[in-house]
Amino acid sequence: MDINKVKGQWQKLSTAIEDVDYSASGYDYSVSLERDKVRDFAALMLAEGFYLVGLMAVHVTPAIEVVYQFAHVETRCRVMARAFVDEQVEMPTISDIYQGANWHERETRDFHGVVFVGHPYLEPLILPEEDVDLKPLLKEEAKLKDVAAVRRQPPEPAPEPKAKPEPKPEAKPEAVKSQEQS
Amino acid sequence: MSIDVEVLEDSRHHRYVLNMGPQHPSTHGVLRVLLELEGEYAMELLPVLGYGHRCHEKIAEFKPAKSFMPNTARMDYLGALIYNQGFAQLLEKAAGIEVPERVEYIRVITSELNRIQSHLLWYGAYLLDLGAFTPIMYAFDDREHILDILEDVTGSRLTYCYARVGGVSKDIDDKFVTRTRAFIDRLRSRFPMYEDLVNGNIILQKRLIDVGELTPQICARYGITGPLLRGTGVAYDIRRAEPYSIYSKFDFEIPTETKGDCMASFLVRFRELEQSLRIIEQALDGLPEGPIMAAKVPKKLKLPAGDYNSSVEAPRGELSYYLVSDGSDVPYRLKVRTPSYSNLSVVPEMCRGMLLSDVVSAMGALDLVIPEIDR
Repeated sequence: MDINKVKGQWQKLSTAIEDVDYSASGYDYSVSLERDKVRDFAALMLAEGFYLVGLMAVHVTPAIEVVYQFAHVETRCRVMARAFVDEQVEMPTISDIYQGANWHERETRDFHGVVFVGHPYLEPLILPEEDVDLKPLLKEEAKLKDVAAVRRQPPEPAPEPKAKPEPKPEAKPEAVKSQEQS
Repeated sequence: MSIDVEVLEDSRHHRYVLNMGPQHPSTHGVLRVLLELEGEYAMELLPVLGYGHRCHEKIAEFKPAKSFMPNTARMDYLGALIYNQGFAQLLEKAAGIEVPERVEYIRVITSELNRIQSHLLWYGAYLLDLGAFTPIMYAFDDREHILDILEDVTGSRLTYCYARVGGVSKDIDDKFVTRTRAFIDRLRSRFPMYEDLVNGNIILQKRLIDVGELTPQICARYGITGPLLRGTGVAYDIRRAEPYSIYSKFDFEIPTETKGDCMASFLVRFRELEQSLRIIEQALDGLPEGPIMAAKVPKKLKLPAGDYNSSVEAPRGELSYYLVSDGSDVPYRLKVRTPSYSNLSVVPEMCRGMLLSDVVSAMGALDLVIPEIDR
């Protein structure tokens, strides 16, 4: 697998690609997707030999975010792909591409109420049938956070309050640069 | 249920539905499988999960991340120390805590002992499923030594809570080292006996060879990892692919087979016993002196906002903790990706058209631990 080639293909599908520090976060790339590109992205990952580690949802505002985790068996490349559900809390299924997603999607339906459109059998898996509307992992209003609050914050120059005002202007162009590259 | 009993009765008179579990002995826990049979052949399989669901992921959102450690042991009760290690690593990564070297050695030694006892239990129980009663007695005899050794340092025999953020709860002593070395010699001396008694047995071979074949492609589509994947010829082991802790320091092999059937994963697991012994041996030789706790672990462990992943090689495959933090000491969201969950999801495809007795072989080869599937 040639990571630069694969990244080039991601670029066509994604809105943003972030290189993540593996030693600090435990994965390599964070890819933000639009809902309608999720299936294309999954098909691309399968063709490149990635396997699906799992998928899960995080309840944040403005919408529930679904996170797909992929990894590769030959080289270390752990990828988190993210997409927000729409107003109907819907997301296209990838269970016909990655059959392993079938159960993960049913579990996410159980816990967060995300409806995976096109799923062959979206019935309760972990929860009993009568608890289909329980959605236990949804947050209460008071605990619900905005998505920006659970994102990695840029490193603050806080330990050196008397430092020159240079770090900030430096940090910004870098961030823009990395987005452009990716 | 996808198996519509009424439709079946109307259209296909020779088919019938059989309920295997949740108390069936070969499901090893509360797993229920609905089988649609055509004579002795399983045509449709539908695993029904959730009998042991406790919603650990919800519990995690209600208490400080540190306090979640005992819960990790209650998921995979056979790999509790490895689950401990993975979770401790996750929090250490998030909080940026440096772990003393001795701690890493102790974690590796105890985790590998844990892996051996998990494989030994699988070995005995799997053969018991296949109708061989004797091997479980031998396997449990060996396993008992590990439980005794671990009980001394961890305080428990099954659901360990040994790792702490930044260290371990109790140091290992000379007695532990002596007993572990004695155990290594003992288990090595038993391998030829196991091979004579079991592995070459013609009945076992007839039950396992060509049953439940998997390919690397099927494994990728379902996210199958661990010995099952290695049985298809892919040498993928998180300990080597993403060397966590100090695994990069040790010399060990990743056993693989090529056929992908039940015999392949059987042999892979059996050979992994020796590799775990090798790791323990090297770790005992290199065991450094030092503290068993990191110097500065805040009482209230605040995790910086962001998301963190920690993957480790559990006895059954890849275990991933994925934590989303909002900057407080309580996780905003914790996802536990357990290996058996993905491994079991292949059953409907893998077992279609199999003899019922082969279904037992194939499901035993998955080495299921149901509480980690239900969580």
